[in-house]
Amino acid sequence: MAKQQEAARLLEQEAVAHQTYRMKLHSPTIAGEARAGQFLMLQVRDGNDPLLRRPFSFHRIQREEGAVEILYRVVGRGTWLMSQMDPGSTISLIGPLGNGFDLSNSGAGPVFLAAGGVGIAPLKELVDRLLSDPSRSAGEEVHLFYGARTAAELLDASLLAAPALRIHWSTDDGTMGFRGTVTQVIEQVVRDEGVRPTRLYACGPLAMQHRLGLWALREGIDTQLSLESLMACGFGACLGCALPAANPDHPTSDHYLHVCKDGPIFSAGSIQWDRIRQQQIAPPIFRCI
Amino acid sequence: MGQNTTAADRSPDLSVHLGPLRLKNPVMVASGTFGYGQEYEDFLDIREIGAIVVKGISLAPRSGNPPPRIVETPAGMINAIGLENVGLEVFLDAKLPHLRDLGIPTIVNIFGNTVEEYAELARRLDGQPGVAALEINISCPNVKQGGMVFGTDPTLACEVVGAVRHGTSLPLITKLTPNVTRIGEVARAAVDAGSDMLSCINTVAALAVDIYSRRPKLANVIGGLSGPAIKPIALRCTYEVLQAVRCPVIGIGGIASATDALEFLLLGARAVQIGTANFTDPAVARRVVEGIERFLEVEGFRSIEEFIGALDLECTFPFAEASCQSLDLDG
Repeated sequence: MAKQQEAARLLEQEAVAHQTYRMKLHSPTIAGEARAGQFLMLQVRDGNDPLLRRPFSFHRIQREEGAVEILYRVVGRGTWLMSQMDPGSTISLIGPLGNGFDLSNSGAGPVFLAAGGVGIAPLKELVDRLLSDPSRSAGEEVHLFYGARTAAELLDASLLAAPALRIHWSTDDGTMGFRGTVTQVIEQVVRDEGVRPTRLYACGPLAMQHRLGLWALREGIDTQLSLESLMACGFGACLGCALPAANPDHPTSDHYLHVCKDGPIFSAGSIQWDRIRQQQIAPPIFRCI
Repeated sequence: MGQNTTAADRSPDLSVHLGPLRLKNPVMVASGTFGYGQEYEDFLDIREIGAIVVKGISLAPRSGNPPPRIVETPAGMINAIGLENVGLEVFLDAKLPHLRDLGIPTIVNIFGNTVEEYAELARRLDGQPGVAALEINISCPNVKQGGMVFGTDPTLACEVVGAVRHGTSLPLITKLTPNVTRIGEVARAAVDAGSDMLSCINTVAALAVDIYSRRPKLANVIGGLSGPAIKPIALRCTYEVLQAVRCPVIGIGGIASATDALEFLLLGARAVQIGTANFTDPAVARRVVEGIERFLEVEGFRSIEEFIGALDLECTFPFAEASCQSLDLDG
């Protein structure tokens, strides 16, 4: 499973939600190796500005077409420049990187997927893999809990709908689905319907994954969280993407995990959450003009 | 000559003498940007690189600074990794043998909290098969000890280098910090204490803040700036060091292309180290070696030695025509 540097061609670029875009890239070598939950590093453009590549998880992997899709939200200058690219452009990619989701033992019972905002990105490919897994027991549902601040930030249902997939929508402002957080919806479904997942997969804001992770730890549910970090290389050289590791034997140890090579998929119990300083004030939506 | 000239005869000689070292080309990769080599083996044949400087090693393993550890800035990045490393024992057992088997000249970057720790590292690396040289890090701006404090004071620099010199017969490179007023003074102190060579520069002390959260962008607050943004500073430092000492100097700072590397060699640096560019283009070292070779061919140099130090200080205007040619060194 070698990592590759590949010159990809932009096939499609489409606005799919507020400030959110889907890119389809022809990159046959990377598409041939990539697995759900892994990521690529994308060079926004030649030259020194922006200097660093940006990490994006695989939204869809279309091996037969030699293509991969990413889903991204415009949060700064790099992603804004990406949103201005036209089909036909050449884009340098490095991938596939990271460990990817563990799909073993996901066929035995109901599975929960939790997505916050653009955190839906890696879960689309995961849904496709889970639903096409022949070892899945017939009738076992995959529940997707999908929330955002407001309805405009959510992907259209038609982009996600699949048989045996139950989608639970939520928004902070109540413009779509349940008014509240993804975590609240999950707790409600567990309480009211008595569904207990064999595994929870999640991707979204760190605060959401933290809450969900603690809930799953209390409930004894196996977790696969897709975490992110600033990173310069994506393949274990810069050591920039450190997260504090939990060490039950040494609770105060300052050992670190690296998102790019130890992750980006982690179990909730492997992270020392109380040592992560979380951003308290969200920056305003990025505008280029 | 004429029709009997073969391609081999025409290809310029890239090998350089670097004090007691002889390298097949002047392109190295800088400490902290190339792991222990293995991280890059999917992307290039690392035997094509002149020498590898491994991630800085301390006696005991270090876990590094809390995150966030890096932030992007215009044409650069600031890091405060905090010298995370596996420690000497794991390095010798698990990392060095692989590099030795590949036959790559391996330069071990070392740092300590005290002068005695530097000396101990030197003693224990002395005579280790596969170690070509030591690079003494007295210039890391991101940790309280083990770094810049030794590199900003000529007396302390002299003490550290002297202790390392006493501990080993390996060739010694001292890595200098730009965060001083007169870099030549520290350079002279290191050479007087027994350093065979100097490398410059380490990162430039820097800071970034966020106006919305009203917090620093690095948990360590201060970090080290690297990348294309620092190249002019690095060129100036290399120039001043070359004026202060006679030993071989290795240029570092913002090198991402053959053109960048050749600028340092033109000043008189006998080799260069590529740093941050390895992160964004993991095969950049190969591209730089190839670009240097092409430049020498096209410009009619038989060897890199002919080009090293060929700077003519008399500045003319307009610049030489050659600089307008579209010689694609970096394609």
